[in-house]
Amino acid sequence: MNGRAGNRRGPLEGEPAVLAEPPALALHGVTHSYGAVRALVDVDLDVRRHEVVAVVGENGAGKSTLVGVMSGVLVPDAGEVVVDGRETQLTSPGQARGLGIATVFQDLALCEDLDVVENLFLGQEIRFGPLLDEVAMEREAQRLLAQLAVRVPSVRAPVASLSGGQRQAVAIARALLGEPRVLVLDEPTAALGVTQTAEVLTLIERVRDAGFGVVLASHNLTDVQAVADRVVVLRRGRLNGEFDADVAGYEQIVAAITGVAIGPGEGR
Amino acid sequence: MAGERTSGGSQTSLREANRARIVSAVQHRGSITQIELAGVTGLSTATISNIVKELVAAGVLQTTPTSRSGRRAQEVSLARNLGLVAGVHVGEREMRVALADVALKVVAEQRLPLPPGHRADSGLDRAALLIEELVETVGAPIGEVLAIGVGIPAPVDTRTGRVTAPRILAGWAEADVPAVLGDRLGLPVLVDNDSNLGALAEARLGIGRGLSDLLWVGLGHGIGMGVVVDGAVVHGRRGAAGEIGHVLDVEDGSTCRCGLRGCLEGSIGSAALAARLATTHGHLALRDIVGRALAGDAACGRVVGDAGRRLGRALSTAVTVLDPDVVVIDGDLAGAGEVLLGPLRTELEARAVPAEGGPVRVEVSGLGGAARVRGALVLALDAHRVGVPIGSLT
Repeated sequence: MNGRAGNRRGPLEGEPAVLAEPPALALHGVTHSYGAVRALVDVDLDVRRHEVVAVVGENGAGKSTLVGVMSGVLVPDAGEVVVDGRETQLTSPGQARGLGIATVFQDLALCEDLDVVENLFLGQEIRFGPLLDEVAMEREAQRLLAQLAVRVPSVRAPVASLSGGQRQAVAIARALLGEPRVLVLDEPTAALGVTQTAEVLTLIERVRDAGFGVVLASHNLTDVQAVADRVVVLRRGRLNGEFDADVAGYEQIVAAITGVAIGPGEGR
Repeated sequence: MAGERTSGGSQTSLREANRARIVSAVQHRGSITQIELAGVTGLSTATISNIVKELVAAGVLQTTPTSRSGRRAQEVSLARNLGLVAGVHVGEREMRVALADVALKVVAEQRLPLPPGHRADSGLDRAALLIEELVETVGAPIGEVLAIGVGIPAPVDTRTGRVTAPRILAGWAEADVPAVLGDRLGLPVLVDNDSNLGALAEARLGIGRGLSDLLWVGLGHGIGMGVVVDGAVVHGRRGAAGEIGHVLDVEDGSTCRCGLRGCLEGSIGSAALAARLATTHGHLALRDIVGRALAGDAACGRVVGDAGRRLGRALSTAVTVLDPDVVVIDGDLAGAGEVLLGPLRTELEARAVPAEGGPVRVEVSGLGGAARVRGALVLALDAHRVGVPIGSLT
């Protein structure tokens, strides 16, 4: 039926060299201090397309600082940023977005009184001459939400009437509007109930499957292990382990987070 | 009261028995036309028509106009207001919860990704919350739920609801699912192996409708099989019937989580497939492998094809022993379609006993990946006896 010529070829010829592709985003030796407090010390991190990389750690381990650096909000004291193989600087949030790094912060930054469409296109409205093209924006909003299988009562419902999970979904959809390479999510399931967590985790999987790289900063290890491909542990601003999420045990990751030494043979 | 009485002495008891037969046939199929009801129950179409009319008036059944092969027909189902059933499928890496009416029409569902090696205590807690919140979204009180069916990816003793092969799902080994979930929600809870539920759903609602024997194979993180013989799911002595993931595939192979060596799951489970591609492709989820195989990635295609061949070899024994009407393939890997099924069929044709009528049909499930949670709904509905009005109905 499908005469796959591949059977006659060598193992690598004509195949996409997945591992040879440059990471969508790579940080090398990133260091950042708040006065005398060193929040990040020599941190490396890379994210590929089709991948969820979780950043975990205790409060104050440096997760939020790392998110700040990736989003362009914080300019690191040292270190380089490589986007799609090209070295660059992230000096402002607008510039980070321009390079294809979209961040959804914990506060979501949605306007309660505006409806879903208005929130999605706030600051990036589609215009028809001097007027806003409401029809085009509504259609685009419907398409985007349907693609992500996000269920909202109506795209014209004010955000104030949505559940926590739906708000998170709207914020993620807005971040994806600019066709970024990498989506950075800061604690997306914090303070959500189980149904809403289910919706957000399923959405993260869908975003990953659509080809985006996802950085997931979270302290909820259950949620992290459910959707991440790789887990990177931060401890006191330094990298303290990297794990394959399918293989690593909960205890192993917790040990890296808390800094408990793990016996020989148990670590990886 | 809807007992197994066939023909009593009096006209009244005969009529009652016929009512019970019709209700049980409708419950069994979810929905069925009056003509089909006549075929299933052996009653005349006139009798069926009369009794259905009575039961509709009594609020037990409802009818909707439909068409079968271009003809107008009356489709009969249980009256929706009889209640709801809940189904839970606990997979290796996800949980699905669904809520359906008594005609097995799904009214709400939710999916939750789960971490590897998840445990029963938090799993059941989240399942209970998801059920409660789903019931709330449809605006019903929890009391309207008649029963909950639960599918677990390990052999289950259906009488106790406990896992009988503790090594296969370590985090659920000691769990008393019916007690924990039942006490929490105050509802009857039935538990079965998830592949058995996949087979049950396929036999009742999917490709197996109207067939008597089928094999249902779920291909994902683990490999499971459900066996239906003469229309009924086969459980075996301790609920482990159909554990095809743990038949021998590689002589002296590596040790499996079940304790045996060289199991089929160790060759074609998602971890094994990903491991074969790790050097060239890095970390891949099973759905990535399927997507790439379909997009023409030769290495992924070969790994999927090899899995089909190995599965075909193991299935040829099952097919030779049981001679089923159809083999249904489901799970994430089934998404690869012909890339998987082509080599699988070739292997089955070469190894299963040739018989009149050609090789066994092999098809991808018609239930869109939801067979196991639908089976959990069927399990819950089957456990509930729909009351049939007694005596004369006016």
